[in-house]
Parts: sequence; structure tokens; C-alpha cells
Amino acid sequence: MIGRLGRALEATGTVLVLLVVWHFVAASGAFSDFLLPSPEAVAARIIDDALSGDVFASLARTVVTALTGFAAAGLVGAALGIGMARVRLVRWFFDPLVSIGYPMPKIAFLPVFLLWIGPNFASQVTIVAFSAVFPVAVATRAGAEGVERTLLWSARSLGTSAGQLLWQIVLPAVVPQMLTGLQVALPVALITTIVAEMLTGGDGIGGAMLGAMRFADSPGVFAGIIVIAATGFVLIRTMEVIRRRMLRWHAEAAS
Amino acid sequence: MTSSALISFDRVGHSYRSNAGVLVPALADVSLDIAQGEFVALLGPSGCGKSTLLYLLGGFVPIRDGEIRVAGKPVTGPGRDRGVVFQSFALFPWKTVRQNVRYGLERMSLPRAEQEARTARLIDMVHLNGFEDHFPLQLSGGMRQRVAIARTLAVDPAILLMDEPFGALDAQTREIMHEELLAIMARRPMTTVFVTHDVREAVYLADRVAVMSARPGHIKEVVTIDLPGRTEPGVQKTAAFGAYVERLWGLVKNEAVQAAAGR
Ligand SMILES: Nc1ncnc2c1ncn2[C@@H]1O[C@H](COP(=O)(O)OP(=O)(O)OP(=O)(O)O)[C@@H](O)[C@H]1O
Ligand SMILES: [Mg+2]
Repeated sequence: MIGRLGRALEATGTVLVLLVVWHFVAASGAFSDFLLPSPEAVAARIIDDALSGDVFASLARTVVTALTGFAAAGLVGAALGIGMARVRLVRWFFDPLVSIGYPMPKIAFLPVFLLWIGPNFASQVTIVAFSAVFPVAVATRAGAEGVERTLLWSARSLGTSAGQLLWQIVLPAVVPQMLTGLQVALPVALITTIVAEMLTGGDGIGGAMLGAMRFADSPGVFAGIIVIAATGFVLIRTMEVIRRRMLRWHAEAAS
Repeated sequence: MTSSALISFDRVGHSYRSNAGVLVPALADVSLDIAQGEFVALLGPSGCGKSTLLYLLGGFVPIRDGEIRVAGKPVTGPGRDRGVVFQSFALFPWKTVRQNVRYGLERMSLPRAEQEARTARLIDMVHLNGFEDHFPLQLSGGMRQRVAIARTLAVDPAILLMDEPFGALDAQTREIMHEELLAIMARRPMTTVFVTHDVREAVYLADRVAVMSARPGHIKEVVTIDLPGRTEPGVQKTAAFGAYVERLWGLVKNEAVQAAAGR
């Protein structure tokens, strides 16, 4: 009982300390309410927005954009990574592109997508997928190149055809590294979604924050930050749980 | 070569391309016939090409120089007729013990009940009852190698290829595995090619020991082991056993010295 409470306190301690400091700094009057609204005001705003349903509408829009782009990045990145590891032509073509694209700020392509697709859901999903695809492709490729040849040989001598190797051996063997790539890609997808919403307007949290700023509604801006932080936290924790479930066989789960 | 042989190596060679792009010969002019049911050990210093020879026979590495025939037909790729066990176990880590053993059976058109029955029988044979739902990483080295052996035997190969299968195990476990392997062989004889650089292991297990020379490897001498009552306890302490070990040691040591000098 004590242990559980202790662990809960440990896990939330940092957040509590920050809230208390925020409360006293705001109450001290060192900053105006406009620059730094009190945590109570921000909480009241979040509750208000939640009650009116506004927060859920923006949040749903943001999460759907982020997860759609993330899913597309996952599929394309996995295919690209395995292709680069196993097909010479694919490697020849994409290797330089990935090397150049990986460290680039992908958001620079947003104007291009806006021109081509228009300021809509599709262009937001495209920029999100484009930003998040690189870590998945790079990690999957490393995993696929590292599949032990004795695993492939064993499978072959047990009656697996060369064509079946991909589904039977390479894909399952690559799952741990692919998940690592996806875990890097998830926050990238979320960040890109918010930035794209801020740059293009629209209904998401990013757009709502931009609207609040225009109306000098500082509790609204801070409420947006907190909702994004909480959402990111939940999504990343969910991903960790999925990883643990999928890797029950893996060394990291064996203990 | 004689037509009674199940496996014929016919002037087999192999070269690897080094990082600098030059061809480095690993095997040269290997010829050897292995009869049906025979247990042949390949013995030689490190780097002499034992594994390479086994991979060529397995069909994992393309044969460009010479020919290997199994039951009269040239080897062109891997096949279910040649089961393989590696030093590193090569189990599918995402599959449980049961799923690993069943893997090959799933690729044959067998009824599900038959698959289950055969899987259970094999798990029983390698004494892993109770561990069916464990993943490989939850097992000891000896248990992992038992899973690998059961997985290979499940598809009933005529030929068993083993590349230092007990090399990663501690001495005690290795001895237990030797006895179990002989017991399995007694129940279900198989033509076996067994790579090792452990002289005692070769003498204890093999009908014939092919000693390979230093790189580029070829067969230097083939010693027939004639030990009556091999499976009886204490055979390793007999004078005959000791004489074989000594003789093979002499042959291998010579090669190992040359291999070291050639570096
Ligand atoms: N993929 C490879 N590329 C280049 N050279 C290789 C490759 N595999 C093996 N060789 C070389 O070929 C020679 C024979 O290697 P092989 O693995 O067959 O020897 P081995 O007798 O099995 O040795 P060990 O007892 O150490 O396992 C060695 O000199 C090795 O360096
Ligand atoms: Mg070897």
C-alpha cells in the first residue's frame, strides 16, 4: 500500500514540483497574468474546453492526423528498409536519398505539399508521414541486414522456399529494430502534426493554440501545451506497452 | 567415385573474395565418399575450411568448383534431405520450443494432428517436456541445442550436417549431449557429417575421421575408428580409444602448427 503510493509519488513528483513552483511564481506577481497565467486558470480553461467538447474535437483531429501519418510512415518505412537490405536496385536508388533526407528538417517541404495538395488533411498527413518515415526505414534496414544467415539457412533446409523467407524469417526477425524505429518516429509524427497545424491553421490543437495566441488568450495557449504534453505521454506509453507485448520472446522481456 | 556412396565430394574447391577483392582459396581439391548410415567427422585446425565444406554440402553456398552429389544428384541448393545443426543453435527466437520444432512440419502437407503428435514425440525424445512454451532465450545452451536437434530431425532428413554443434556448451553438458546423440542415432540411424576440432569428440562419435590440412583445406588422411562397444561406459578410458586420440592429435597438431606459421 505504502509502496504503491510511494511509487505513484515518485512517478508524478517532478510534475507536482513544477506545478507548485508555477503556482507560486504566478501568484508572486513577478509576471503579468497575460505572460504567465496561473495553473488554476489553465486548469479551469482545460476543464471548460473539455466540458464544451472543444478540446476533444481539436485533440481528435490532431491525433488522427498524427496517427494516420505515423501508420503510413510505418508501412512505407518498413517496406523501404527491408527493400534496401535485400534488393540491390532498391538500395542503389534509395540509399543516397535516405542519407540526405534523414538529417534534413522535413518541415521545409511543407510549402511544396501545400502547393501540390492544398491546405487540407491530406497535405498534413503527407508531411507527417514524410517526416516520420526515415527513422523507420533506417532502423528496419539495419535489422534486416543483421538477420543471421544461419537462421535463413536453417529455414531453407527445413523446407522454406527462397520466396517465403521474407515472411517467415526476415519480417519476424526484424520486428525489434522496426519497433525501435517506430518509437523514434512517433514523437516526430506528433511534433510535425502540431507544427503543420500551426503553419497551415486548421482545427487541430496546433491551430487552436495559434487562434488563442491571436486573441491574446494566454490560458488557451498554455492549455494547448498541457494537452499536447499529456497526449504525447499517453501515446508513447501505449507504444511501450505494445512493444513489451510483441517482444515477449526477446532478451529485454525475458528477465 | 563409387556408386554405393550416399554423399560424394568430387574435387571440390572454394575461394572467398577478400575485402580487397582478391580470391582467397579456402578449399582445394576435396574428394571424399560417405556411405549410407556412416558418421564422418571433419577434423582440422581453425580456418581450414571445415564449415565451408559443410555449407557447400548443405547447398547454402553455391558450388563453383567441382561437384557434390547426394544420392547421385548434384547439390544445387538447400533441401529437406539435408538437415543442419549449427554451433549457434540458429533457433527462431520469436517462436516457442514447440513452434520451433513444428516449423518444418508446417511446411509439409501434414494434417495438424500428425504435426502435433510428431512435435510432442520429438520434444519427448530430447527431454524437453514441460518447456514446450518457453522461448529459446529462456533456455540454457544445452537445452537450446536439443531444440535445434529436434527441429532438424522433425522433417526426417536422410543426412544430418552438424557444425561444431556442442562447441558452445560446457564440458559436462557436451558429454551428456554426446551420449544423447549416440542414443538418438541408435534409434534412428542417419548419415552424419560432423565438423569439430575436438579430437576426443571425433573419436567418440565417428565411424571415420577425415583430417583436413591447413588452408587451403583438403583431406589429408581418413582414419577409420573401430571401437567395439562404443556406447558402453568407460570406452573413453580404453587403450584403443587413447591410441586413436593420440594418432589424430599428431595429425592435427602438425597442421595447426603449419596453419599458425602460414599467417
Ligand atoms: N564469408 C567469408 N568471406 C571471406 N573469407 C571467408 C568467409 N568465410 C570463411 N572465410 C575464410 O575461409 C577459410 C575457411 O573458413 P571456415 O569457416 O570454413 O573454416 P573452419 O575450418 O570452419 O574454421 P573454424 O574451425 O574456425 O570454424 C578461413 O580462412 C576464413 O577466413
Ligand atoms: Mg567453422
